[in-house]
Amino acid sequence: MNRLEKCGLRVLDSVRRDVQAFRATVQQYLEGKLDATRFKVKRVPMGIYEQRRGGFMVRVRIGAGVALPGQLRALAKIAADHGAAHLTTRQDVQLHDVPVEAIPGIFEQLLAVNLTGRGGGGNTVRNVSASPRAGVDPAEVFDVRPHAIATAEYLLDSPGAFNLPRKYKLAFSGTAADDAFASVADLGFFAREQDGQPGFRVFAGGGLGGSPKPAIVLEEWVPAEDAPLVAEALRRLFDRRGDRGNKHAARLRFVVEKMGEQEFRDEYFRDKAKVAAEHPIFPAPRPFPSPWRPELAKQARELRPGELSPLIEPERRVGFYTVRINPRLGLVNPEAMLRIADLAEANGEGLVRFTQRQEGLLCGIPGGLVGETVASLRKLGKDIFDERRPSVVACAGAATCQLGLCLSRGLATAIEDRFTARADGLLPAIRISGCPNSCGNHQVAKLGLAGKARRVQGRLIPYYDVMVDGRLGAEGARLAQRIGSLPAKRVFDFLERAATDGEAGFSCQNLHALIDEYQTLPETVPEDWFRDWGSDQPFSLAGRGPGECGAGTFDLVRVDIETAKGGLAAARAAELPPPRRDQALAEAAVAIMRALLPVFGLEPGTRREVYRDFQARLVDPGWVDASGAELAAALQDWQAGDRQSLAELEPALTALIERVEELFASLDASLRFQIKPLIRQPETAAAASASKDAATATHDLRGVACPLNFVRAKVALESRPVGSELEFLLDPGAPANNVPASFAEQGQQVLSMAAEDGWHRLRVRRVK
Amino acid sequence: MNLTDSQIERYSRHIILEQVGLAGQEALGRAKVLIVGAGGLGSPAALYLGAAGVGTLGIADADAVDLSNLQRQVIHHTADVGRPKVESAAERIRALNPEVTVRAYPERVRAANALAIMRDYDFVIDGTDSFAAKFLLNDAAYFAGKPLSHAGILRFEGQLTTIRPGASACYRCLFREPPPAGAVPSCSQAGVLGVLAGVVGCLQATEAIKYILGLGELLTDSLLTYDALAMRFRKVAVRRSPDCPLCGDRPSIKELVDPEEAACELRP
Repeated sequence: MNRLEKCGLRVLDSVRRDVQAFRATVQQYLEGKLDATRFKVKRVPMGIYEQRRGGFMVRVRIGAGVALPGQLRALAKIAADHGAAHLTTRQDVQLHDVPVEAIPGIFEQLLAVNLTGRGGGGNTVRNVSASPRAGVDPAEVFDVRPHAIATAEYLLDSPGAFNLPRKYKLAFSGTAADDAFASVADLGFFAREQDGQPGFRVFAGGGLGGSPKPAIVLEEWVPAEDAPLVAEALRRLFDRRGDRGNKHAARLRFVVEKMGEQEFRDEYFRDKAKVAAEHPIFPAPRPFPSPWRPELAKQARELRPGELSPLIEPERRVGFYTVRINPRLGLVNPEAMLRIADLAEANGEGLVRFTQRQEGLLCGIPGGLVGETVASLRKLGKDIFDERRPSVVACAGAATCQLGLCLSRGLATAIEDRFTARADGLLPAIRISGCPNSCGNHQVAKLGLAGKARRVQGRLIPYYDVMVDGRLGAEGARLAQRIGSLPAKRVFDFLERAATDGEAGFSCQNLHALIDEYQTLPETVPEDWFRDWGSDQPFSLAGRGPGECGAGTFDLVRVDIETAKGGLAAARAAELPPPRRDQALAEAAVAIMRALLPVFGLEPGTRREVYRDFQARLVDPGWVDASGAELAAALQDWQAGDRQSLAELEPALTALIERVEELFASLDASLRFQIKPLIRQPETAAAASASKDAATATHDLRGVACPLNFVRAKVALESRPVGSELEFLLDPGAPANNVPASFAEQGQQVLSMAAEDGWHRLRVRRVK
Repeated sequence: MNLTDSQIERYSRHIILEQVGLAGQEALGRAKVLIVGAGGLGSPAALYLGAAGVGTLGIADADAVDLSNLQRQVIHHTADVGRPKVESAAERIRALNPEVTVRAYPERVRAANALAIMRDYDFVIDGTDSFAAKFLLNDAAYFAGKPLSHAGILRFEGQLTTIRPGASACYRCLFREPPPAGAVPSCSQAGVLGVLAGVVGCLQATEAIKYILGLGELLTDSLLTYDALAMRFRKVAVRRSPDCPLCGDRPSIKELVDPEEAACELRP
């Protein structure tokens, strides 16, 4: 077993530290020192989502979909103590109904077995998935798991993994059939040998959800050991090009769309060359031991056709089998988890695997032990293991998900119940999502259903778009085509009708032909159609909220920018009495000053702290101009009663909001601004000499006394090459007299000296 | 090198000088000066060079602070008595200007280590107190090719010269070898006016700064004498000697050796 432990995804030290620090965050939240929004920003990248029905969900990443029995037992223990467990469509295990105060303890338990939720949500490198039958599948080219895990470990060890423009999903498929969903991932790898060398055909920019796109071919072939290099290069491109301003158009596929495929590839190759030139050290892939344990070999035998079932599949080594465990809706109970862990150890390879279809797998079961294994699984009940139940994958839907529209699980259960009873086995694999987002992967299904709502006679009906003929594969994915839409309650009748035509009933043509009849609404809509599956209440969208999936530091910034804009708009509304207008302006100003501070890791509480941090982090380094500082000063005066009105600050506030938005848009994953500061501080004067565009730059020396004003001016001038011209703003009086005189005395050319509104503008050329 | 805001302010009176300016101040920041002897001459030299923003100062001295030093060795304070001189000197320079890198060599400069210590510096200040040490430094500066400010003080008189090895007269061009034992007053017999050390040490620092900035005329091929009682400075022209055993036409000194320790000059 020790060898197996060494192969799985490790929790890196950096991740371990982040997870341990999170304990304090939960504590702050519980003590009321951290508001819900700020808590959200911190918890979502830890894989923690708030559920629609209250409580939290913790998404635990299972690297490449392989778990040790001990890990499964730990998950079972947590599920038994606090909530329920759910297998996802990306090989994760989700713990549901977890109370917030239990989270630190749960994270400790997870860390103890080398598991974590870090990166389970938010704009992060998500679970790196792999073909679930890697290493045993007769159709595979080679075992992709070691490469998936090495790539994940490399990516996760950099802070850039957790502040991307949006999520970054990777998948490794060992087979052309794509059981890993690599052809619709942000970055997908297909095992392919070339001249006897293991390698990958690489796809990029795929994704389901709203505006789904099949991935494009990024490279025809790369050596297998280059997978982390490819992933890092593409991560950088994504980091730089992804649109952080709009999280609905931030995924990599939108970058491909914006740049065009060719330019996208060109830029990727430049990034790849750059990464390669840095000679990064990638973790070495750790091969898994043979799944066919020698001590079980004497039990190996081929099963007779009558002993096989859809859940028992032969492996590459003759006489060994994979047993597929198909819990209904992916829901597993602690008792089943413990039993499955035992079976993996006793009868199989010593691992439990998870699929992209909410299932578990036991691999390396010798033919002679299949019967005993299946019998044990049957004892767990038909909701855990049922060879006659059709394959219906459904997301959690409106039952728990904040985004869900329809009760997708209710529909899935209804379909399963109806068709399990029938031995015809006609029903194709069905995938259901409760909303247009694609957690149920409806867009790549043979038959896909996506929930929506439709208003009929002034009332809402739960509806599903019906899609057919989606495909995955090493030659590229094809998205399912929408053929029509049906009320949720009619979906069932529609499938029933198709089944009466036998196998041909589910052909695309036949479904096309049939759907019209079912999507035409009768004059009087039956009352039952206004209720969703599994609900006795009229259908409504109540409780639906914004998705949390993209939450991150950027959300905090966005909230403050929106607050500031709202305040400014309110202040501009002419009817506001002056005191209310000033209050709106003040709130807007504080919000915008605070907006970017989380980028520096600051979350100031009081206004005084906001002014201080704003000055130190944004004004002093020149990210915003001096009018920002004046704004802060004016606000403090106003608060102290030394200033009557804030009305005249409106232009400065408008400008500051624009500047903050500009800075925000330029942030990269490391939370650095990609645009230059507005004002060059004296510290950076020498650096300024390098910039060619600074033919004439203005240095504000107002408020600087003699002779330091001349010293500063001289340093600025001498930092530029001979021939450069500079402008200085000087106070009237001694400064205006002395500075030009001193320049002249030292042989520099004073070009002009002009009195302006309360100050003087001096132009000097460096001639020596 | 970019000067920070506070550096610009600290060195503003230098930067204002037309002949110094930004470039000159940056040159000082890059410069490395070795001061051999943290005594009467070395004290003011080290303090002024540190204040001026010379980037790196090396201080070599094997002695500990003695109460009798404090009359002229102003870099050490009463509380430092008994401490290694390099330690108190380094502490004082850092307190004056934290931007200076101070390297302490708590050892006597000898033939065995002189070249290794000097190698990294741009300019050497001789603040030693014995003829043997002065001849050694002269020879070492020659072999290392480092410019050297030589100085000596006794009672009310001091003298100094700047040597650019091979290009200007060296100490041996003027004085062939250390005087025989007994020919000069012993340390305990002679005395020295404390402030005289300050004046001459500052002149040495001035030479170092001028050399770094490339300004004015150095005291090369000249011997400056200072009589504090008469308050008279005299600059005497000297010349490289073709017979110099070190830098002459037929040199007899071909490698660095420790000269015999003669009677010391007064401890400066």
